[in-house]
Amino acid sequence: MASIRLLELLILLAALAGFTGLLLRRNLFLKVLSMDVMGSAVVALFVLLAARTGLRSPILTGLAAVPAAADLAADLADPVPQAVILTAIVIGLSIQALLLVVVTQLARIDPSLDVSSFESID
Amino acid sequence: MLTTTLLTVWLLLPYLAGFVAALLPSLARALVLFLCLITAVVGCSALMAADQAGVALTLLGPTGVTLQVDALAGWFVLLDAVLIAGVLLACWDRLADTSMPLLLLVLQGGLNTAFAATDLVSIYVTLEVVAISAFLLILRERSERCLWVALRYLLVSNTAMTLYLIGAGLVYAQSGSFGLQALAQLPLGAAQAFVLVGLFTKAGVFVSGLWLPRTHAQAPAEVSALLSGVVVTAGVVPLLRIGQLDPRLLVCIQVVALAGALLGVLAAQQTADVKRLLAWSTLSQMGLVLLAPVAAGAMAFSHGLAKATLFLLAGRLPSRQLQGWQERPLPLDLQLGVTLASLSIAGVPPLLGFAAKKGLLAALSAPWAAGVVLVSLGTVMVYARLWGAPVSQNSSAEPLLNPPLRRSVTGLVLVLLLAGIWQLQSTLSWGALLSTALLLAAGVALQRLLQRFRAAALQLPALGEQLQDLLGNLALVGSGLLLAFRLGFS
Repeated sequence: MASIRLLELLILLAALAGFTGLLLRRNLFLKVLSMDVMGSAVVALFVLLAARTGLRSPILTGLAAVPAAADLAADLADPVPQAVILTAIVIGLSIQALLLVVVTQLARIDPSLDVSSFESID
Repeated sequence: MLTTTLLTVWLLLPYLAGFVAALLPSLARALVLFLCLITAVVGCSALMAADQAGVALTLLGPTGVTLQVDALAGWFVLLDAVLIAGVLLACWDRLADTSMPLLLLVLQGGLNTAFAATDLVSIYVTLEVVAISAFLLILRERSERCLWVALRYLLVSNTAMTLYLIGAGLVYAQSGSFGLQALAQLPLGAAQAFVLVGLFTKAGVFVSGLWLPRTHAQAPAEVSALLSGVVVTAGVVPLLRIGQLDPRLLVCIQVVALAGALLGVLAAQQTADVKRLLAWSTLSQMGLVLLAPVAAGAMAFSHGLAKATLFLLAGRLPSRQLQGWQERPLPLDLQLGVTLASLSIAGVPPLLGFAAKKGLLAALSAPWAAGVVLVSLGTVMVYARLWGAPVSQNSSAEPLLNPPLRRSVTGLVLVLLLAGIWQLQSTLSWGALLSTALLLAAGVALQRLLQRFRAAALQLPALGEQLQDLLGNLALVGSGLLLAFRLGFS
């Protein structure tokens, strides 16, 4: 259990690092990448959540050899967080792509992509 | 009347219609109208249902998607049907060969599910779908301004939703379920703080909602109408559901909401731009909507219709400057629309805003009701800035309102008026009339008084609204919530 707590701490530190980058970076491109660091940390959190019950993929191979319920739950990973995070990964990817498209468009105004040069557009 | 199968079909239909619209663009506008009709029927039947709890759906097993189509969802579903139809009709001619109908379909699909969802994951997915379609709608205008505002919107929204997802993960770690019910039963801690900060940001409440004024003010007029009228309520409904389930969190939501309502009216006093005034007022009204889950549906419905009308009309104003508003002549039809819609938000009978505000006051205890009255006074003062411009005489100039826009605005105002009259007999009393008249007179008088000082006072800068600040606000609200929970907030 101690290793899980340690990993959880590391993951939350990664999320914090992403958020700090998002706050402190002046460059828009790096801001968007920091957001992705944060997103990846959340993905890791959900994978860790799924691994609390075991590491084996929760996939049955062949219906004939269904093990007893007790064996089944023994070392299988929890499929629910994994399914959830799969959706979140897809959403994160599409948002990342959309943001980067807009960032490339904004690079025409200021190629150095400094945040302060866009705040004054009004 | 509403069965599981019918509701599932209704929830999926917008996406299917989206595919069809992409393949056959000539059908797209008709499909949007058709979907709005179906959605309105579902919304009405959810409202009229004898059983207030509505229909609960559990799809894909006990850990799957849970939905609840009840009276609360009914109001919001009806709102999104009416507003999307209204905006579509307002710019019917200009949408012939654009992607906007397709985006409206996806938006409607996202909103419908967001209003009905009762588990953290479905709420996450639908809020992201809504955010992406709102982002693409803002980008309908390819100006530098819109590019920046859209980027800002999606960046802040996605950061908030990432925090929300951490909260959802923590809820699952502690309870083994993603249901809102599970969230409400946990001891207060980091999980709720993360979830709430995400939802507060989406709902545009208090400092975490400071992204809202510039986004709603700079988006194209018809998109602003949708954003302010209905998109922002996608974050409100989950908060209301959490408040219904958990009395501890309801108090917390009420405190933040009232603070947001006051912040909105104060900031709207000092702005010099019509669209920013409307956007700040949205921030304030969302605070009022969140105060009482029982009265929230009617509040959000009346506010959404009125605000969408105001934004649609604001897009046709010759100038967005509030300076010298009382000297610049405006055509009668435009003034009539602006005045009626803003009177509804200010809570004047027989418009729907009056009944909604009376319902809200009845649902709250005395100290909260006092806060609402204060915010109402502020709201009257804000909208008094838009009243009393002279009527322009020259009819030779091209009319500001084109026929589709005029029809759509007339429709929206008529809905406000008729629904208001229908609700009137249960809420109207001499006392209520008198207090409304007093509030109105006091607000207008105070506004006249304030107007003298405003000319001399210098304009405050847009405080706390830069991207850096918006992200900092997330951290601020999150840590504030956590601190409150740790200090034994009850």
